Amino acid sequence: MASKSPQAPRLRQRQVAVPTQDIDDSRLHQEDHVGEVYQNPRRRHPVEKLLETRRASFIVVSVLTALAFALRFYKINQPDQVVFDEVHFGKFAAHYISREYYFDVHPPFAKLLFGLAGWFVGFDGKFLFENIGDSYTDNHVPYVGMRALPAILGSLTVPVVYAIMKESGYSTVIAAFSASIILFDNAHIAQSRLILLDATLIFFLSLTMYSYIRFKKLRYLPFSTEWWTWLTLTGAFMACTWGSKVNGILTVATIGIAVLIDLWDILDVKKEGHTMEYFWRHFTARAIGLILVPFIIYLSFFYVHFAVLTKSGPGDTFMSPAFQETLSGNEMLLNSQEIKYLDTVTLRHKDTKVFLHSHIERYPLKYEDGRISSQGQQVTGYGHNDTNNNWQIIPTKALPEAGRGRYVRHGDVIQLLHVNTQSYLLTHDVASPLMPTNQEFTTWPKDDHSRHNDTLFYININEGHDGDVVKSKSGHFKLIHGSTRVALWTHTKQLPEWAFKQQEINGNKGATEKSATWFIQDIIDSEDEDFKNRTEDHVEPKKPKSMNFFRKFGELQLLMLQHNAGLTASHPYASSPINWPFLLSGISFWTENDSQKQIYLIGNIVGWWTCVISLSIYVGILGADLLARRRGLDPIPDPVRNRLWNSTGFFMLVWGVHYAPFFLMSRQLFIHHYLPSHLASAMIAGSVFSFILSETVNYPVSVRGPSTRAHPKQYADLGIKAPIIFVGFSVAMLVVLLFFAPLTYGTPGLTGEQVNARRLLSTWTLHFAAKVTAEVV
Amino acid sequence: MTESRGVRHRGHKAPSPAPPLTGAETTPRDEKKELGPHEGQSKPQQTGFAPADLLKTEYLVHVVGLTYTLLSFWTRFYKIGHANSVVWDEAHFGKFGSHYLKREFYFDVHPPLGKMLVGLAGLLAGYDGSFEFKSGEDYTDEVPYVAMRMMLASFGAAMVPLGWYTAVELGMSQWAAHIVALMVLLDVGWLCISRFILLDSMLLFFTVLTVFCMTKFHNQRTRSFSFPWWFWLTSTGISIGCVSSVKMIGLFVTALVGLFTIEDLWEKFGDVSISVQDQLKHWTARVICLIFIPILVFMASFKVHFMILTNSGPGDAQMSSLFQAGLDGNEFADSPLEIAFGSRVTLKNVGYGGGLLHSHAHPYPDGSAQQQITCYHHKDHNNEWDILPRWEEPPYDPEGPIRFLQDGDVIRLQHPPTTRFLHSHRIPAPITKLHHEVSGYGNTTIGDVHDYWAVEVVDDLQRGSRAAVLKEGNIHALTTRLRFRHQVIGCYLRAANVNLPQWGWKQVEVTCDPENNPKDRHTYWNVEMHRNERLPPGDIEFYHSPFLVDFWHLNVAMMTSNNALVPDPDKEDILASKPTDWPFLHLGLRMNGWGDNTTKFYLVGNPIVWWGSSISLGLALAVLGVYLLRWQRKYVDMTDGEWTHFLYVGKVALFGWALHYFPFLIMGRVTYLHHYLPTLYFAVLMFGHVLDHLVFSSRRLPLAVKATVFGVIASAVVGTFWWFKGVAFGIDGPIGEHWGLLWRKSWNIYTQ
Repeated sequence: MASKSPQAPRLRQRQVAVPTQDIDDSRLHQEDHVGEVYQNPRRRHPVEKLLETRRASFIVVSVLTALAFALRFYKINQPDQVVFDEVHFGKFAAHYISREYYFDVHPPFAKLLFGLAGWFVGFDGKFLFENIGDSYTDNHVPYVGMRALPAILGSLTVPVVYAIMKESGYSTVIAAFSASIILFDNAHIAQSRLILLDATLIFFLSLTMYSYIRFKKLRYLPFSTEWWTWLTLTGAFMACTWGSKVNGILTVATIGIAVLIDLWDILDVKKEGHTMEYFWRHFTARAIGLILVPFIIYLSFFYVHFAVLTKSGPGDTFMSPAFQETLSGNEMLLNSQEIKYLDTVTLRHKDTKVFLHSHIERYPLKYEDGRISSQGQQVTGYGHNDTNNNWQIIPTKALPEAGRGRYVRHGDVIQLLHVNTQSYLLTHDVASPLMPTNQEFTTWPKDDHSRHNDTLFYININEGHDGDVVKSKSGHFKLIHGSTRVALWTHTKQLPEWAFKQQEINGNKGATEKSATWFIQDIIDSEDEDFKNRTEDHVEPKKPKSMNFFRKFGELQLLMLQHNAGLTASHPYASSPINWPFLLSGISFWTENDSQKQIYLIGNIVGWWTCVISLSIYVGILGADLLARRRGLDPIPDPVRNRLWNSTGFFMLVWGVHYAPFFLMSRQLFIHHYLPSHLASAMIAGSVFSFILSETVNYPVSVRGPSTRAHPKQYADLGIKAPIIFVGFSVAMLVVLLFFAPLTYGTPGLTGEQVNARRLLSTWTLHFAAKVTAEVV
Repeated sequence: MTESRGVRHRGHKAPSPAPPLTGAETTPRDEKKELGPHEGQSKPQQTGFAPADLLKTEYLVHVVGLTYTLLSFWTRFYKIGHANSVVWDEAHFGKFGSHYLKREFYFDVHPPLGKMLVGLAGLLAGYDGSFEFKSGEDYTDEVPYVAMRMMLASFGAAMVPLGWYTAVELGMSQWAAHIVALMVLLDVGWLCISRFILLDSMLLFFTVLTVFCMTKFHNQRTRSFSFPWWFWLTSTGISIGCVSSVKMIGLFVTALVGLFTIEDLWEKFGDVSISVQDQLKHWTARVICLIFIPILVFMASFKVHFMILTNSGPGDAQMSSLFQAGLDGNEFADSPLEIAFGSRVTLKNVGYGGGLLHSHAHPYPDGSAQQQITCYHHKDHNNEWDILPRWEEPPYDPEGPIRFLQDGDVIRLQHPPTTRFLHSHRIPAPITKLHHEVSGYGNTTIGDVHDYWAVEVVDDLQRGSRAAVLKEGNIHALTTRLRFRHQVIGCYLRAANVNLPQWGWKQVEVTCDPENNPKDRHTYWNVEMHRNERLPPGDIEFYHSPFLVDFWHLNVAMMTSNNALVPDPDKEDILASKPTDWPFLHLGLRMNGWGDNTTKFYLVGNPIVWWGSSISLGLALAVLGVYLLRWQRKYVDMTDGEWTHFLYVGKVALFGWALHYFPFLIMGRVTYLHHYLPTLYFAVLMFGHVLDHLVFSSRRLPLAVKATVFGVIASAVVGTFWWFKGVAFGIDGPIGEHWGLLWRKSWNIYTQ
């Protein structure tokens, strides 16, 4: 069946398939609809003509923007308390202002902006956003200024969405439709009014999309100045997206995939017959604009980050000693001392901060679970200062009288003598009290040489080289047992009463285990005369060292990745990705019991479900188109299909790439991770809306190049239906927005019944709901 | 490509000429005949397809196939009884086989077909099921373990001829097919795992069989709806059913067949020349043969399972109370019918896969730190609860009048071994944080109103609706379904197959759900065991629980247990390995004790086979990438037919491999080296394919090069097999005396 007869002019009505006898004839014309679908712009509906003027478009976008600002700034000072993740991001901003080093899994760009905003409005960085519910007013924090930043960016996202749709060739009404889904959305509003990173992420994501579309539209004018500009801007905004939050890497992936598809087309010799040389030019241009430029920008965020954070802060301990030595005021810098043999020192575990401790009590012969111990002297981890933490480092080789030979070095074999009980640290193949898989640590009298070999330990500095001297505080090392190769290790489990609930120490068979890291806290005593000179009071604080930026950058990136993957703890409001598009669950951001106020992150259900329905319609259309074409039918005119596959397809790509990877992640996930995808789905909704109403599109949208074949222009005409539906839809969105406003703005408080009324889905776990007690019949 | 042709074209010798429309493959291949030069063994074929040659080729294929079969049986049976002790998972599967012979109901995470075949092997060998199969124990004289092992090893042996024929059906040149068959024959991993009482030999056999049937079916594609076409389609379906009934891993090869079928149908869908009727026929045929038949086979295996296991056994508690009541040797029927205060009961969760309400003397690690309450699937005294009146009421008097439990009664449930009461409070549950924690609290004298639970009758399986129960009055054991509502908070006692971490021994979390969902079966409970000496023993006539309910229940329970098999971060399991360890054989696995006097078996592959096949996967992708790029630049490297064939074999191998590999990366479950064994088969096919494409079927390379490549690879495979044969046939004496087996430093063959 041919979808259209070639003779009939293709105008606005959908062409009902006319069964024609001459199939061959219709096939001839199928490849190109050019001749048939010309349209006169003046024959459009007057409303459409009016709305498509520059002026009308400007007015519409102005109204949308003004509304966006109004909705996002309304009562932005409410609540004057720390809400949800403001705990983190507010704190980080404070650190920038006080220039204290912190560590976080997200790249620094958005947080730098918050720091800047805070600095701009006069925040002194003293308030540390410790708990949700801490008052800003009492602590004199100019939080409104800081919240204004995401509010501005969140508001500006709305006109950018509008512009994306306009640039993609949709009518004003359609562009306004997509923008209004974002404009009236409770979730976007709630996220934009607080000191959170998502508004920045989404804003730059939309800018990236916008620039890429502009760039794509110039594809017939390659290497022109404009083309280069939009290419570079795409790269720049992409870097900003990535720099705002780790999820931004998905935006990079999106653009990457789109570019690969694009390059694949350029490679196609059949299409325009380009030479390989031409292809490589394109390739290089994109490599510069979309890899090199973004990477430099991304690096520059970190450069600023390190340049600002020059003081020691809470993030120190995440970093390597070498890194810490670049921070002024860091403890390591103050009194990191080289250790000599026969020094008496205290050893401390890096992660749990307990001291290696031993006392005269012995392990019980039999544990509760029936296993047997060696009944040796207990070795435990103890959190407080005590003389039982003192160990003397005994050499296993002859020492010179004086000089550098007396220093303890990487890879040396040492013994540790427990000073108070005069016994050596020892481990052997006996199961530890709590973990049958790990070895027990105990001590052995100094004079009894029968087990000498079991008291030998290698001291291996992390990333150390031969000859490196062990230093107090800054030198992190592992203590590897000589004969059984286990590492001295501890974990947060407490031993029972017989060991005074101190922490268990045992030998971990994984000798590369990261958490088996120890350092020397203090030098207590030394056989050496110059000992006094080496203690802290006598030492001048050293100058912060410098470290190569790229090494710092590399170290931090690695840590960020590791920690991001490590965020697996369960959270009551974490949800699985499948729930997100359907808006099945929200997040409780903040509550105030007295006034029954709460902020609950939930989207505008009208908008979200419109998006989900549109997505399924879109997939349905594509599926039907594929099936039909497989059977040799051609139900959709080429310009419309191009639009659906290329333009809407790009939105779909954004949606999919920002959504699907979450299914593979095992870290805790929240509904706000879906917001970038929701933005894309709003655009798909607009496109589907347009497709349903009319088969016309503005075409072509790409800028014509010198060698491009002239396509007759076509114009979209949605008639009067579209504005009417749009107005109706916006009113519905607005009504729902206002209904849920108390949950979004956190004010006013709601009674139990009111809360119940707003609980449209039983999966929304709102606070202060009135109890509906089921009766027992 | 010539020498392969005689093989590959077997599908085309059908007298009926294929319609030209469908056969992109037919015509170009015939052209190739002219293009193709000269290869050694196939000289006679060059003249064309004289019937005599065809006959000869076919004959030759079978001669070779037979030879491989004989070799295969030799490798699989050689010294099979040498280790006369229980090796590795024989401890499990031998025991399950015994359960079939004793007809005792047991529970396991794997579907039953494989284990029933173990039972059958035992039956045929004359085993009576009395042996306990303790790990490492020596077999007694009553256990015909050699005969059992041999029967199961036959499955493993059959892999080899199937591998050969599959390669032939895939249209590989004979040289490539020999490589595939040799690799299947001589991989020590496959060999080793096939020689014991394990499910893997059957899993491998059915996986390989499925691929074989699929390729057979593919080669019938020009003769739709002919008898062979139906035969191979149906065989594929049955084979899918069998492989999925042996281990759930079989679903991966099912997915491969699914993808293959979807692609096939998509091709057909685009072929306008096929009439609508024929289209429908194609679709229906696949739905029936590839969906219904496998499901039927799967369900039939469970039906037989239930039919054999009619006695009460160790797996009872996994099933619904009614099912258990139907097992012989179960005492439920004798317990009193009506529940009263003072009764001692166990409470069974009605949801699919539900267990018994359980408590033990261990506290929650956080939350209230009170005693844990869980759902447990094994019967012990910690599942028992006493029904007692409220604190305010006079304490239960064993001498007083009997008070039957009624709907709406508020009770306390006391856990006799620890005297704690079932308790809940507004503290988040350990996993399901939005529910309240349920704990064991207090003792015989201490307690509070948070121990109160209101009994709500849902319905009764025998007497019908709630109204009917209320009219008649009392609550019955086994059949009355109840809910327990916390008197103070109003939440409902619930257990929904969420496993606790290691501190809760992976038992199921019990919570109190603040939402009242009357339809939620996970909040339904029934009384299972009921003891009360003051009541007369009931004489209950049970109706059997329907097969489909049991089937579903058992499958949910299997899933739940499977999900609980997650790696324990606190415990180092030296047997487990990560999927990334497999393709390049980073680790081996000791299958039994490593003492000097035991016969030692080490599960490790033939390094040439494993490394070579893994490299071939990467190579195939690289080759494909180059072809695609060149295709986009419009270079013609192959005829359409060659290209289709290159893609077809590549897709079977690559998708087969990926479907059997990547899911393991995502799964949270503990994974072991032997999980890679089905995966390896597809890698081996890819190895043959890549070699075939690049070397054996190359038009440019001279015969001498091809012969050399074949010779080198074949002798390397044979050589490494000979070198490593001990790990599969058994190593006697101190391991240190066997020199040169440590080909990767990470293997634990010599040291700890």
